[in-house]
Amino acid sequence: MRLIGIAFGFGPILFGIGFLAPMIAAILELARLSGPFGLSPIQFGLVLGIVLGAVARRRKTWLW
Amino acid sequence: MAVVAQVSQQSLRAQEKAIADRFIGGFPWPMVIWPFVNTTVWLSLWPLVFAGLLPLWAGFLIALLNLSVSYLPSHDAQHNIIFPEGSRWHWFNEFVGWVSVIPMWIPLSVLRVTHYEHHRHANHPDLDPDYPMAAPTALGGLGKAIVKSQPRHDRYGETLNRLGTPASRKAMLHAMIARVSQYTILAALAWSGHVWEALLLWWLPLKISSVYINFYLSWAPHRPMTQQGRYSDTRAFRSIWGNIASSGMQYHIIHHLYPTIPLYRTPAAFRALRPILVQRGCDLGGM
Repeated sequence: MRLIGIAFGFGPILFGIGFLAPMIAAILELARLSGPFGLSPIQFGLVLGIVLGAVARRRKTWLW
Repeated sequence: MAVVAQVSQQSLRAQEKAIADRFIGGFPWPMVIWPFVNTTVWLSLWPLVFAGLLPLWAGFLIALLNLSVSYLPSHDAQHNIIFPEGSRWHWFNEFVGWVSVIPMWIPLSVLRVTHYEHHRHANHPDLDPDYPMAAPTALGGLGKAIVKSQPRHDRYGETLNRLGTPASRKAMLHAMIARVSQYTILAALAWSGHVWEALLLWWLPLKISSVYINFYLSWAPHRPMTQQGRYSDTRAFRSIWGNIASSGMQYHIIHHLYPTIPLYRTPAAFRALRPILVQRGCDLGGM
């Protein structure tokens, strides 16, 4: 149960990796954009997804 | 005088119950057919869109409708309206309740435990799981509906923890399984090249419909959520979209008074009970 609790604590970051990263990559590809600093769309998606997830985890909300 | 007033109140309550009883019972066919059709349509969207037989934008609009109407049959099942507890057919009530919310991917057990707490403590700032929806204006209610399920505002998990009953512990386990499985499915779809389908057939309709559901089921009939008590914690209201497009919530006051009246009978029950509700000083919102 403790392990599950820890995993749930990282839920927003896991969501950032699992869902947001490929979604961000798909949006970039649709707009025919590449990631900054030479990153591929999926690499950029992973970075942004993890950052957004970490922020959401800290603030306990994705919005307000 | 006090004794006379008490007898009068008891008589009024007896009249109220006698009227309400006319709308309770029988098999609520609409609440059984509805979830099976709705969930089947939503599940069908996936193969239709994957096979290219339905454009994704159309799938999104249908999914949005599916998600928006998926909660209500489960709500009737939460109150054991389809078959009461103790009936040999009660398993079917539970089946309907679970099938109904497949698109929302929320366990019936979680909804039931938290919803019963809402009924027990409607508008209580600490004990009503829906209290985070409290807002004086519609715009405020919309804002609360958007963030209600965010961990900072969520009260359902806290309620399940606080109760600590076998039912709430079971519901908590179901909630965890649901969350893990939902995110696993979404991630599997997204990483296998189906991110747009995952986004437009499930995740986005789920988020938009949850705002609609929370606004009309929690905010509109209980606003401003400052009063407690049988005749003052819920109100009737006139929606600009009409009763059906407002999830039948114009007459939600009837549900809080008599939770085993099926949703589709609440308008008729409201009309029959209206004179008594007026005597009770209920807020009927001009209805």
